[in-house]
Amino acid sequence: MRRRDASGHRRADGTGLVALSRRQTVATAAAGSAVGISLFVLALGADDLSRPGYRAALACWVTLPYIFTGMVAWRRRPESRLGRLMVAAGFGTVPNFLVWSDNDFLFTVGVATQFLPPALYLHLFLAFPSGRLSHALDRVIVATAYGAAALAVPALMLGLEAPRSTLTVIELPEAAERLLQIQLAVLSSCLLAGVVLLVFRRLRSGSVRPAIAWLVDSFSLALLATAVLLMAGLFGWSIDEPVRVVTFIAMGLAPIVFLAGLLQARLDQTSVTEFLNRVGANPGPYELQRAVASALRDPTAEVVYWLPEFACYGDADGSRVELPQEPARGMTPILRELEPVAMLLHDPALADEREPLSSVAIATGLVIENARLQVQLTARLEELKGSRARLVDAEQRGRQALERDLHDGAQQRLVGLSLKLGQLGDDLRNDPDLRSRLEEAINDVAASLSELRDLAHGIYPAAVRDHGLSVAIESLTTRASVPVRLSVSDRRWPEKIELTACCIVAESLTNITKHAQASAVVVELAPDDVGLVVEISDDGVGGATTEGGTGLRGLADRVEAIGGRLQVDSPPGNGTRVRAELPCAS
Amino acid sequence: MRVMIAEDSVLLREGIARLLIETGWDVAATCESADELLALVPRQEPDVVILDIRLPPSYTDEGMRAALTLRQQRPELGVLVLSQYVEVQLAMRLLAGAAGGVGYLLKDRIRNVRDFLESVRRVALGGSAIDPQIVSELITKRRHGDRLSRLTTREREVLALMAEGRSNQGIADECHINLRSVEKNVSSVFAKLDLPTDATDSKRVLAVLLYLRG
Repeated sequence: MRRRDASGHRRADGTGLVALSRRQTVATAAAGSAVGISLFVLALGADDLSRPGYRAALACWVTLPYIFTGMVAWRRRPESRLGRLMVAAGFGTVPNFLVWSDNDFLFTVGVATQFLPPALYLHLFLAFPSGRLSHALDRVIVATAYGAAALAVPALMLGLEAPRSTLTVIELPEAAERLLQIQLAVLSSCLLAGVVLLVFRRLRSGSVRPAIAWLVDSFSLALLATAVLLMAGLFGWSIDEPVRVVTFIAMGLAPIVFLAGLLQARLDQTSVTEFLNRVGANPGPYELQRAVASALRDPTAEVVYWLPEFACYGDADGSRVELPQEPARGMTPILRELEPVAMLLHDPALADEREPLSSVAIATGLVIENARLQVQLTARLEELKGSRARLVDAEQRGRQALERDLHDGAQQRLVGLSLKLGQLGDDLRNDPDLRSRLEEAINDVAASLSELRDLAHGIYPAAVRDHGLSVAIESLTTRASVPVRLSVSDRRWPEKIELTACCIVAESLTNITKHAQASAVVVELAPDDVGLVVEISDDGVGGATTEGGTGLRGLADRVEAIGGRLQVDSPPGNGTRVRAELPCAS
Repeated sequence: MRVMIAEDSVLLREGIARLLIETGWDVAATCESADELLALVPRQEPDVVILDIRLPPSYTDEGMRAALTLRQQRPELGVLVLSQYVEVQLAMRLLAGAAGGVGYLLKDRIRNVRDFLESVRRVALGGSAIDPQIVSELITKRRHGDRLSRLTTREREVLALMAEGRSNQGIADECHINLRSVEKNVSSVFAKLDLPTDATDSKRVLAVLLYLRG
């Protein structure tokens, strides 16, 4: 059975595996049928075989399903070696039935291969679904099982089944028996180790895969049953015929379940076409995300985009993403015109089914451009917002430092100076002229101090930071030229929010004094679900706007920089209402 | 009388201390932080403490909190808070509660040595000293269409001095009028503003400020 002929297509995935051609399929089917017939001929022709028909039927049941389903798998899923392995296992099981033969040579071949089937089953179960043994431990276990099966040959040479055996060299019945026991012990241990491995892997992966994968795993119970049968032979347990039958039935059903598992992946493949239909030509990042997750049947699947200008990956929100560590997450690159533009993060168990994964990755690459541009734009906007907030922060810190310098430096010195000058005045009681000049100097210092105080307050309203909004805003409203009704609690807020709120109230009151011709103002600061809401309303002439180079525009910038929103409602002749929402989280 | 000073600027701390010593005060101790002050007060038993509203370690409201603590724990102790800025609400917080002397002044006021010393003395004796800037802001605010407009200029002057914490004698000295005339103006102000007339010197400061604050 060569894998290639004129009609065999070379696969594009680079594995070089080729589908079974029609001619090969026919040949294999014929061989399989011949095997079935031969088994019946063999059983019925045997002299001392009880219930030969029943035996032959059981033998067919554990061989033919492997050959025929393996054939289908080989044709449909050539990239998985499992199909070929199934066919091989089916044919590999046949020789051990030659023990029924009356011919001594055939009988000897049957005895020599009697433990090959369990090793083949083990190989098959561990190799599902790729057909490869991907872990070193698997390879060791399977090789050991084959080795143990091969021990039948030396056992025969030591006189096992003498005198019928044609391999007998020397008759050492005890040694042959011991070898047989070793064979059974090693084989059953290998089977048990295989079951433990399968269960452990399934539990550890915790993956969200189709139910069929669970069914496949459940058939590893057949391995367990086989191990029990072998141990029964080893320890001389008497095993009821029904257990034997159930084990045989499970063994025959296993390849059918394998085929279903492989065809399930086949279904996944058609869902790729669905995927392309569903997302349309230009899906956004969220649509793409949903479509990928649904096509892979992996709700954790995620597309992250390479953002060259930030040299990092970003998710659909444009937020920076660190690539996870394999093997905790599976990763498949998404190419667009041969350039890697994104990474598909998925359940690592999906890597067992290379085909749907690479199909989805390729399909995603075809339609990713729009989503990629959107994510880049979002990332840039986020960056811009971040840099604006950082600028505002830096400015605030600068102002605070300046205010602190004025307070600790110039202001303290001037106060000290005026103190010294004041004391000097007492000593100059007898020189009225000098004394009046000194008082002039003292007044100059006082004026400087007052100006400096206003300047410092303008640069950074320290009272807000030191004592909170309620203290600072009461002073602002007290100094206002229009009567203000104030409503504010003593609650403290993050510094950024308090400073912005204070700035909004101060600027609004200044605007009202300058432009509004109002007779009453209401200032209200109240918490809501997200943060602090500041509202200043007057009964003035209205017509205020955030457009143009007004103070309101500057206020809106400040509010937006901390992630808030400023609304100005100012119909002409109907008063002005400035409302700012300052979120606490930012 | 014994005084203690808590001020982080050496320049001011030493300046104020020298000024007080030269005018016959007993400067019991000086310190740089509110914690030191609170630890020293029980040992030194001063009549009055002068403290900066901004003190280490965070330079925000440590001085204010220390002042309120002292007011609560030692009602008989006079507390004079100095600040780079004055806030109405902080004045009200300081005045509330204990009957004892309390003061809240801009640091600049030190330059007027005589007024400053008078304020320290008043606070030490259980009176009040509220910064004129606070009082004038409140009066300015209240002037719009209020009962305040019914007061004569002299009455308004007397009202402001009352709000600063001056006694009747202090008002008489400041305005260069006799004590009887001050008393007449005071009762007229109380009547026109509908304030309780039985208020003593220290209580009337609060009453007047509360009225002005509205």
